[in-house]
Amino acid sequence: MSVPKKFRLEDTIHVKGKIEVEKYVYTPGVAGLKLAEALIDGRMLGIRCGDKILVPAKLYCPDFTQGEIVEVKDPWIVEAYTVIYEDMYGRRLEKPQIIALVRPENSLGGIIHYVKTDIEKIRLGLRVKPVFKPREERRGLITDIEYFEQLE
Amino acid sequence: MRSIRLPGMYLREEDLRKLVGVIEYTPRARYSYSAGQALSEFLRGLREGRILGRLCPSCNRVLVPPRVYCEHCYTQTTEWVEVPGTGRVESVVVSYIGTARERLEKPEIIAVIRLDAPGYGRDSFDFAGLFHKLCGVTEDDVKSGRVIGLRVKPRWKPLELRTGSILDIECFEPEVVESERA
Amino acid sequence: MRPNIYVKDKVAIVGAGLTLFRRRLLETPRELAWEASKQALDSAGLTLKDIDCIVIGSAPDAFDGVHFKGEYLADGSGGFGKPTVRVFVGGGTGVMIPIAAWWHVASGLCKTVLAVGEEKMSHAYPHPQGVFAYIWDPILERPLGPNLIWIFALEMARYMHVCKASKEDIALVSVKNKRNALDHPAAQAAANITVDDVLKSEVLVWPVQLLDISPVSDGAVALVVASEKIARRVTDTPVWIDGVGFTLDNTHWYNRDLSYPRYLEYAARMAYKMAGIERPWKEIDVAEPYDPFDYKELHHIEGLMLARRCEAPKLLREGYFDRSGELPTSPSGGLLGVGNPIAAAGVMKVAELFWQLRYEAGARQVKKPVHKAVANAWGDLMQAGTVIVLST
Repeated sequence: MSVPKKFRLEDTIHVKGKIEVEKYVYTPGVAGLKLAEALIDGRMLGIRCGDKILVPAKLYCPDFTQGEIVEVKDPWIVEAYTVIYEDMYGRRLEKPQIIALVRPENSLGGIIHYVKTDIEKIRLGLRVKPVFKPREERRGLITDIEYFEQLE
Repeated sequence: MRSIRLPGMYLREEDLRKLVGVIEYTPRARYSYSAGQALSEFLRGLREGRILGRLCPSCNRVLVPPRVYCEHCYTQTTEWVEVPGTGRVESVVVSYIGTARERLEKPEIIAVIRLDAPGYGRDSFDFAGLFHKLCGVTEDDVKSGRVIGLRVKPRWKPLELRTGSILDIECFEPEVVESERA
Repeated sequence: MRPNIYVKDKVAIVGAGLTLFRRRLLETPRELAWEASKQALDSAGLTLKDIDCIVIGSAPDAFDGVHFKGEYLADGSGGFGKPTVRVFVGGGTGVMIPIAAWWHVASGLCKTVLAVGEEKMSHAYPHPQGVFAYIWDPILERPLGPNLIWIFALEMARYMHVCKASKEDIALVSVKNKRNALDHPAAQAAANITVDDVLKSEVLVWPVQLLDISPVSDGAVALVVASEKIARRVTDTPVWIDGVGFTLDNTHWYNRDLSYPRYLEYAARMAYKMAGIERPWKEIDVAEPYDPFDYKELHHIEGLMLARRCEAPKLLREGYFDRSGELPTSPSGGLLGVGNPIAAAGVMKVAELFWQLRYEAGARQVKKPVHKAVANAWGDLMQAGTVIVLST
């Protein structure tokens, strides 16, 4: 590289900059809109493709045919889980939290969400059910489900 | 293509606000860009009131803005060459809007300037150039087309205000033509 | 017609489909890609099982606001368990998508390819202009507070000066394209306007005015590309891809003459040589030059060697480029009339030529018989030129 003899790394000038977008506003999509309305109602939707049910509901099946949107019910099974101690920005959490991949019992796919139970009790195959926020607080987002808890 | 109804559901801004399930997010990415070897030296040169270019040994062009390689010949450039900073206006426009499309209070005149530098023909396709504002011309001058081809020189900020950035040149202004003096 | 290059399999386009182009659509990017893909597959009479490979094209992630956008779109484009690739050359992506599909089939690697271009610009709020802001070099250009329209205005001013073209001449392109778009079912900005309307519209950066610019849009377009054997089985009139060309110029856009698109000439020569075309201005029947701004269409017509340098405005005035003229350009309505979702727009132009060459364009069909066509797209800071030559 043609580096002049007296050039040092400390001589490099840095210019500051940042992204200029005020914010992003993501539309839910045609299927997502139905899902949002169902969440406000306290229900969860999946899509039937052939003889399988896939969660969460999308507009189309993986083989590109149109599926049928159906409701999915409890119980849900914990497929995988992890315990986190820090948040998205690296700050320590007050209490460790459990994040799990949960799916309804007779379906494929699943969603990621919090599971509220003691750390000793969490295990694969645990049967759980969603606990929704009070109706007036629901906005049609996945966070309308506050957490999943163990099914007794 | 037959006239079938195409898919796609149109949303107006008001519809978007009434929709459920809309997510909003503001990104928080900040950057510290490195100017690299050539531009760091160029910026230092600007602080000293000089415009620096780099010489390509293969095609003998002096490249402004300087870079450590010549992209036409794909070779390393070898030495720093100071250029006088005078030049000719290649193209010029009047801007009424800013970065985020807001209306500006005062319109700005922006130009691409073909600098006097060795290694190029008078009207060659490639040239050593800079992109900057123009002072000393009015909007009407620009719109009449008289400004393209005008000879210009840089107007520097006072020494204590220079920080080592392209803004150390306040703008380019018309050169006083020799033939106008007696 | 044999291409002047050894290919394992001749390549043809056999199907095309698109969604509406609008300022804001409800669908998520994946759903848009799926809708367009489904239309394309249906028009070719194929299903996803018949497709071997997928090519996705989408411009900066920053518009949709989702990183890794190609992979994000993958399941909406059928990229589920199939070889999938994403191409990106800014606005040039639109024609790079069928070019990449051509690579896959011509090399013999895949027999059928689904090529999808999608863009959702409405996610960036309040206006995607903010995202355009960081195409600039952060050291030497951003401190001046530039707006992307400045570059286009500088190019337009230079073109007007060198070719002695007036704003009225250039505004005719906008009038022509928006009128052509009235017949396009997906069009967003079709209108019956006059040169006066263009000249009275808001001046953004003189000489560029509001009606000189194409609108910001959401949309998706898909093509099905197949090898010769499959193409002949699926349809009676496959549209052959005879030549492809793509080039990049340097990023120092203020170090070169802005009145002529050199990058486009190099790409066009590459494509014409491959297609065996020696006199494009005589042999090409219909063209879709990229027209995000009205002067850009004239620029690109000259770069594609369909007219001599600076001759395009005169020919335009004479009606040479109208749908009923000698060499119709942008019969679809182009980006000015139909809309500009960055990556999908170029694919929309190729789809239009696909329908024109098969005489399926309905009210938009040009008057003269058509056999050879060319489309181009252009991207980044006046850099990337992509060209494709089609024929029947």
